[in-house]
Amino acid sequence: MIVGGGLGVFVSCSGSKRQPSPLSSYVTSGQFTTAHPSVLSAARDYFDIYPTHVRQPIAFNHQIHLKNGMQCTDCHKGVAQGPDAGIPSDKFCMTCHQVIATDKPEIKKIAAYYKKGEDIPWQPVFWFYQSAHVKFQHAPHIRAGVDCATCHGDMRKRTVAVRKAGLTMGFCVSCHRLHKAPTDCTTCHF
Amino acid sequence: MKELMDRRNFLKFSAVGGATVALDACGKPEHHLIRFIPEEELTPGVAVWKPGVCTQCGAGCGLEVRVMEGEAEVTRQGQVGLIKMGLAKKLEGNPNHPVNQGKLCAWGQAGLQVTYNPDRIRFPLKRSGPRGSGEYQEISWEDATKELASHLASLNSQEKKDSALAFMTRPLRGQRAVLIGRFLSAFSGSRLVNFEFFEEAVLRRANALSFGHYQLPTFDLANANYVVSFGADFLATWNSPVAQNLGYGTMRQGRPGQRAKLVQVESRMSSTGANADEWVYARLGTEGILALGLANVMLSEKLRPAEAAGQAGTLLEGWSKGLSDYAPENVEKMTGVEAAKIRRLAREMAAHSPAVAVIGGAPLAQTNGLSNALAVNALNALVGSVEKTGGVSFTPQPPMAELTPSKAGTSVQELSDGILKGSAPVEALLLYGANPVFASPAAWRVREALEKVPFIASFGSFVDETSILADLILPDHSYLESWIDNVPESGTKQAVASLAPPAMLPLHHTRAMPDVLLDVAQKLGGEAGKALPWKTYEEMLQAAFDPLRNHSGSVSAKSSDDFWSEVQAKGGWWSAEVKSLPVTKTAKLPSGPAKVTEPQFDGSAQEYPFNLLPYASQQFGDGSHANLPWMQEMPDVLSSAMWSTWVEINIQTAERLGIEQGDLLEVASQHGKLQAPALLSPGIAPDVVAIPVGQGHENYGRYASQRGANPIKILAAQTEPETGQLAWAATRVKITRLGKKGKLILFAGGLREWPREFRHR
Repeated sequence: MIVGGGLGVFVSCSGSKRQPSPLSSYVTSGQFTTAHPSVLSAARDYFDIYPTHVRQPIAFNHQIHLKNGMQCTDCHKGVAQGPDAGIPSDKFCMTCHQVIATDKPEIKKIAAYYKKGEDIPWQPVFWFYQSAHVKFQHAPHIRAGVDCATCHGDMRKRTVAVRKAGLTMGFCVSCHRLHKAPTDCTTCHF
Repeated sequence: MKELMDRRNFLKFSAVGGATVALDACGKPEHHLIRFIPEEELTPGVAVWKPGVCTQCGAGCGLEVRVMEGEAEVTRQGQVGLIKMGLAKKLEGNPNHPVNQGKLCAWGQAGLQVTYNPDRIRFPLKRSGPRGSGEYQEISWEDATKELASHLASLNSQEKKDSALAFMTRPLRGQRAVLIGRFLSAFSGSRLVNFEFFEEAVLRRANALSFGHYQLPTFDLANANYVVSFGADFLATWNSPVAQNLGYGTMRQGRPGQRAKLVQVESRMSSTGANADEWVYARLGTEGILALGLANVMLSEKLRPAEAAGQAGTLLEGWSKGLSDYAPENVEKMTGVEAAKIRRLAREMAAHSPAVAVIGGAPLAQTNGLSNALAVNALNALVGSVEKTGGVSFTPQPPMAELTPSKAGTSVQELSDGILKGSAPVEALLLYGANPVFASPAAWRVREALEKVPFIASFGSFVDETSILADLILPDHSYLESWIDNVPESGTKQAVASLAPPAMLPLHHTRAMPDVLLDVAQKLGGEAGKALPWKTYEEMLQAAFDPLRNHSGSVSAKSSDDFWSEVQAKGGWWSAEVKSLPVTKTAKLPSGPAKVTEPQFDGSAQEYPFNLLPYASQQFGDGSHANLPWMQEMPDVLSSAMWSTWVEINIQTAERLGIEQGDLLEVASQHGKLQAPALLSPGIAPDVVAIPVGQGHENYGRYASQRGANPIKILAAQTEPETGQLAWAATRVKITRLGKKGKLILFAGGLREWPREFRHR
C-alpha cells in the first residue's frame, strides 16, 4: 500500500502535465477515487497532513508591503464581503511595480508573467481537504473583529505565507467557545 | 496516548515516510495549466444576478443569470489555460418580465449547458476535408471574415438579377431579424429562409384571416372558466408555455371557490391532456369539424346571442345557415366523438363564460390545418372570448422603428426545389441555427440540395447535420455571452422588448453573429455598408431602443444614456399599458369562404393502417435541445421513457397484434422506415402511433449523436396548401414486429397499474 501510494503520487504528478487545479494533487482528480488521486493522498487526508511550507512561484514579501503602509484588504479585497479573501492578479501588482522596485529579481518575474499575459500560479497555503466538508467563510470572521493574524500569523514579521496555525477542528472550536460563537456542526460543516 | 505505535500511527509514519520525496514534485507550478490574467475583477464567492433573455424557444422569456467568480478553461492566443472570470452558474426567470414573471421551464434551465457544452465550436473553422466529413482546421477571425466577405463580394459583382445569396435561420424576432433583413437587402434577389420543424404559419395565417393579426394568440387562462384545447400542448411545448403555465395555475388554484374546467381534444395524451378534466379523442385532422359541431349546438339551441357569431364566423361556409352540415350526429360520424358528448360539451362551454378554445400542434399540421384553425377561431368568436377577459387576444408590439425583417421569407422546401431543379440556384448560403437536414422530410432532399451550393458558411455554435456541410464556420457567442434582445409574439398583454447585455465574457474564441455581419458589411461597403451603418450590434440596439424612451413604460429616464443603462439593468422595456391589440374587423379572405375539409393522409388506409403522430417532446422540442445532457436525463413526463426513441401504441391495439412492451417495431411509411421499441399506452387512440421528435441525430455532439431514431425522415412531404406549411401529422404508416426486444428504458419502470377500464371497455 505504501509503495502504491508513492507510485500514485508520481503518476499523478509527472504523468499528466495539465492538471485542472493547483490543488489537484491533494484534493481531486479522477485517477484513484473521485476524492483522491492516490492512496497516499487519501492517507494524508485521513491524518490531516497539510504541507506547511508551500513552494510559491514568487517569494512574495508580505512584511515589506505592510511596512510601507499597505493594508491586508488592499490586495485581499474580498475578505469582508465573501467567503474567500481572494488574491489579486498580476495586473494589480503591476499598477505599482511598473515603477517601484523594477530591478528586484522577484519583481522581474512578475513582470515576465504579466508580459506573457499570464497570471501568477500561486499555490494555496490555507485550505481544507474536501472530505473534511468544511465551508469556511472569511466575511463573518472579519465582521466579528477577528484579527487576520489569529489564523494567518503576524505577517508583519514574516515574508512568505506559511501555514503555521494547525487549523484543526480543535483550533477552530476553542476560539469559537472563547468568543461564544456558535459551535453547531453545520456552522462550519455542510 | 498510551501506545506509541498503534495501527493509526503505523500507517501515518509509513505513509508519510514513503512519499515525502514524491510529494515534493507536486507543488511545482510548471506542472500546472497556465493561468491567464483575469479580464474582470470580481469579489470571490459573491454572486451577482444579471438580466438575460432566453432563446431556447420562441417565447422570449426574461432571465436572471447568477454570475459568480470561477475558473474556466479557455483558449487565449492559441493557448489553453485557466482564467478567473465571472461565470453564469444558474438561470432563473426575471420576476419583472411580463411573459414569464420569474418562472422558467426546463429548456430555459438547461440553457447553461449551451454555454458550457464541451461540443461548442471554440474558434473559426475552415473545411479541410471533403464536405460533410467534419474535417476542419482552425483559422483566425481576420482570415474567416475576409473569406466570407470575399465570397459575398463576388456575388454582388456578378451581373445577375439574382445574387443567389440565401440566409437560413431559425425564426428570429427583434433586432437580429432586422439586421439579417437589412444585410440581405444589400444583395438583390437574396432570400431569407426561416426554418423550424414545428412552424406556426398555419395558425398565424388563420389569425390574420379571422382577427387581422399574423401572430400567435395569447390566452388569458388565469380568468377563464372553461377551456377546450384542440391538440395544443400548451403546458409543455406549445406557444409560450411558461406564461400559459402561470395562467393555468391561477385558473385552477388561484381563485378560491372557483376552478375552471379543461377539456383536451387530441389523439395522444400529452402532459396538458394529463392535466385535463376530460380527455376527448377526435380522429386526427377532424378537430375543426368537432369545433363546428360545438358551434352548431350553440347556434341551434340558441345558447349564444344571435350576433355573437361575430366576424370570424363569416369566413366559414354554412355559418349563416347555422352550420347545418355539422349537426352532432354528422360530426360523430366524421370525428368519432359521440353526439351526446358534443351536445354536453357545447352546453357546458356556453354556460361557463368566459370560455375559450385553443388550437395548436397536430390539428394544424394537416392538409386541412387552416380550416381547422379558422373553425376554432369562429368558435371563439361565438362564445365571445375574442379580446375579452378570460379569452384570446394578441400581444401588442413595442413602438420601435423596425421590428421584423423587411424581407418576406421563403421556405426550405422552395429553396431546396429551386436548387435541385436549377430554377433558383444558390451561390452562397449563410446558416444560423437552423437544422433542416435533420428536421425536414427525406422527400424534400435538403441535404442533396445543400451539397450543390458552392459556398456555405455557418454561424452556429455546434456542428449539426446541416452545419457539417459548411465550408466556413464562424461560431457565435452563446446567448449568455452576447448582446441579446427579443420581442415576444405572445404570452402577455403588454408590449415587450427584452434586452440584455452579455452576462459573462466569452469562454472561447467566438464572435457574435450580428457583429460579424456588421463587420462584413463594412468590409463590403456600398449597399451593404449603407444598410448597416453601425459599428457594433450594441450601437444598433441602442439606436433601436431609444424611441421607446418617449412612451410610458417600465423605464423612464430623462437622457438617452440613462434610458439605455436602465433598460439594460431591467432586462428590457415593457409598456405601462396592459391592453391587447384591437382585433380588426376588415380581414381579407383571398380565396373565398373556407370549408372545413376532410384531412388527406399520405398512404392508403388498407396498406398503412396507422396514423403517425410525431410530437414535440418536452425534452428536445424539435431536436435542437438533444445535445443538452440535462434534457437527455429528463424522462418523458407521462411514460418515464428516456434515452432513446419509442413508438407509443394503444394497449388494446398492441394486444390484438401480439405486441408486448419493448418489442422492437419497424414503422414504415411510403417514404421510409425506422426501428424503435413499442411503448404500450392507454392514452393514445387505437389507430394512431406516436413517436417523439428530437432523437436520432447523426451529427450533433457527444450527447445527441447515434441515439434513437428520427421520425421526421419517414414523413410524407404533405403540406397545408394555403401556407405551404408541412403537414407533419398527415402520414400513414404500417408497423411490423421484428421478433426481438428493443432498448426501452423506463425510468419509473412503467405504469404501476394498467388502468383496467381501458382494457375492458
